[in-house]
Amino acid sequence: MSGAIDYALWIPVLPIVAFPIILFLGNVFKGTDAWRGRWKEGGTIATVVMGTSLGLSIWLIIGYIGQVTGHESVGQVGNWLSFHMVENGNLVSYSFGFGMYLDHVSVMLLFVASFLCFLIAIFSLGYMNSDPVNLDRNHRFYAEFLLFCAGMLGMVLADNFLWLFIFWEIMGLCSYLLIGFYYERPSASYAAKKAFLTTRVGDVFLLIGLLILWNLFGSLDFSVVWAEDNIAAVDAGTLKIALFMMFVGAVGKSAQFPLHVWLPDAMEGPTPVSALIHAATMVNAGLYLVARMYPFFASPAMSGEFTDLAILIAWIGGITAFMAALIAFVQKDIKKVLAYSTMSQLAYIFTGLGAALWFANTGHEEIALLAFGASMFHLFNHAMAKGMLFMASGSVIHEMHHAHHEVAHHDGEHEGHGDNDHFDAQDMSNMGGLASKMPITATAMAVGSASIIGIPLIGGFWSKEGIVGAAWKACLTPGGAWMLGPALLVLITAGMTGFYMSRMWFMTFAGKPKTPVANGVVEQTPFIPIPLVTLTVMTLGGIVFAGFEFVHWVADGHAEMHFSHVLSGIGAEMSHAFLPSGEENGGLIYLVTMLTIVISTIVGPGTAMALYGGRLQKGEKAKPWLAWLVSLSARVRKNNHFDNSTWANSGLAESLHQRLHFDAWYDSAMLKIVVPFANACAWFDQHIIDGAIKGIEYGSQEGSSVIRRLTTGSGRDYIMMAALGTLAIFLLIWGVA
Amino acid sequence: MIDPMWAVVLGVCLFTIGLWGAVTRKNAIIVLMCIEIILNAVNLNFVAAAAQHGDVTGWVYTVFAIAIAAAEVAIGLAIFLSFYGHNETISLDEMELLKH
Repeated sequence: MSGAIDYALWIPVLPIVAFPIILFLGNVFKGTDAWRGRWKEGGTIATVVMGTSLGLSIWLIIGYIGQVTGHESVGQVGNWLSFHMVENGNLVSYSFGFGMYLDHVSVMLLFVASFLCFLIAIFSLGYMNSDPVNLDRNHRFYAEFLLFCAGMLGMVLADNFLWLFIFWEIMGLCSYLLIGFYYERPSASYAAKKAFLTTRVGDVFLLIGLLILWNLFGSLDFSVVWAEDNIAAVDAGTLKIALFMMFVGAVGKSAQFPLHVWLPDAMEGPTPVSALIHAATMVNAGLYLVARMYPFFASPAMSGEFTDLAILIAWIGGITAFMAALIAFVQKDIKKVLAYSTMSQLAYIFTGLGAALWFANTGHEEIALLAFGASMFHLFNHAMAKGMLFMASGSVIHEMHHAHHEVAHHDGEHEGHGDNDHFDAQDMSNMGGLASKMPITATAMAVGSASIIGIPLIGGFWSKEGIVGAAWKACLTPGGAWMLGPALLVLITAGMTGFYMSRMWFMTFAGKPKTPVANGVVEQTPFIPIPLVTLTVMTLGGIVFAGFEFVHWVADGHAEMHFSHVLSGIGAEMSHAFLPSGEENGGLIYLVTMLTIVISTIVGPGTAMALYGGRLQKGEKAKPWLAWLVSLSARVRKNNHFDNSTWANSGLAESLHQRLHFDAWYDSAMLKIVVPFANACAWFDQHIIDGAIKGIEYGSQEGSSVIRRLTTGSGRDYIMMAALGTLAIFLLIWGVA
Repeated sequence: MIDPMWAVVLGVCLFTIGLWGAVTRKNAIIVLMCIEIILNAVNLNFVAAAAQHGDVTGWVYTVFAIAIAAAEVAIGLAIFLSFYGHNETISLDEMELLKH
């Protein structure tokens, strides 16, 4: 362990250091050929830095897996802030150190963050640098990108809640900067403000929660607040308030109901930013925070105290999962579908964590750890799949843009970007039939969608089954009746996921091209295929991770990774997933599992095929592993007599287009509450505060005109007054003495 | 030796007389003389205290005060002369420039 840990601090520090360097170099060398060409406007530096961070992370992780079992705090790197306070007459000193805390969860997230950040850096080399809109300002993107990555890496490694919060806020800042990258567009700057302010609501709660926690424990170090004796010594009610506040912070960061409104608008940023926010960094932070609350729930001293909070977490997850999937049904923008899919999948993880916390709090430690592990595994799978999906959608959008320019040029229209306004390269109703033109992207998109849907044996399948199973187990356990809602919601959402993800794929890649632009698309941008292929392999390799007993490994601090038992591990996972277990209620859980598989792999995608499938244009051929899917969808569609136009024109669809009116409600709440409040504040400022100052001014004017009469101008009167004043002072002192 | 207490009492009497004169009289020269009396009342206190404590500091201050009083008289008389040159009076009732 000693070798890697010495350099572990550099994992977050390297990107932080590179951040100002890129900004500086970018401003100095902006526009020169070498900077644009060889240096990729800072992209080369960013890629090298993230590659180094990834290398250090992997080195650290391999050392950790090989030698450490159990949760381990790896030393205080330094004393960052210490201060002294007088409490009850005694001088007490507090200090906040910066150290690193490694356990199975942080190690997993460290890998997710550094790996995806590196791949996104490579993707950006192709995506950002070949778009003329970004010319000469890419250094800003790469600098902020690195700071963002540093925020996530630092947050994952931090060994106390204070540093966790600091890095959390760095991410909030970077999300603002990057979502508003195209600040000249009003919609982008609006989206950036919205994201920043919405997450700020959650952050205020988080800060309050941390302050309560600090008040209770006198420290924010993980090692102190998680110690069994310390937890037993504090008041359960107060601790529950603190945990609730922290959970609200997580809700804001991970875009859960009711603070979800920022996430779809965050699509205004460039696509690599979407991939970064949705897969690698930002939204995982909230889940990480909730995962960090696990020891409080598992403490025997708090047994049964927090069940309602765990149920609330599961309910928030269930509601968000269902709502986001519903809204995703009608989205036409390819990135918006993915955004709502992110919300929905994160909500799955929240439900799984809610179930895990509930089990932990009611004393079912074994099942709790399994549910916890399944949630973390879903985080891993979702990050890999969603990173890939966003990059694939970026590839589609980029090539659509390019093809549009070609078409516009040939039609003799004027060159430049003025024509962007009436062609939406992100609109799926402009696409279609891209399966033959973009084989790598189409494959990546298919595999990523399969992982999100939970097609058996691919990444997300293993974890999603675990989460649905855990929620149902919780609701079948005595006292867990309240979990029935989330359990039902996630079960239904599994089918809905199958529908909207397949709908996206078929609208984009199957059928005939719907516009001449889509007909001219060619997959040609360099660098973009590298991350797509890598992540496709990672996602398909989900079965290998399952074989490592990933779920058990992440959950149970004392399990080792069985590198040598992959095959038997896969066998165990397969029988766990597909065969009824002998435990209590095993039959019903088995039924639920099978139902999940059926509705998510057959009902959902089948409906999507019936509505949106279709054969490719004549003469076009997809790769064999995609061709069967396209022709299957064409066959399903042919035999379909289902007419969905009444649905599409119904009031429900209309309100789904309006995102279930949440934005309108929030806006009107702003108008009704915040604006009058601001007016009241303005009135208070103008009349009370300004009034007091004006009163002082007026009073002194009037008073001085009275006192002015005392100035006779005669020297003798002044001497008289001075003498009397002296006498008065003398008498006063005499009286006091 | 006389009890220094008597010197202090005399100083208080002189101070009161001087203050009374400075506040009530109209003639500027008499006011100037009254101020001299006040200063000398203070000098008397200094000397008395110096004699009681056997400390030379009080005498030194007295010498300074006399020197400053001489300078003050010279300046004061010069001001009155110039005032008389302008207004042909040195009545303090006419001196109200401070009001403006």
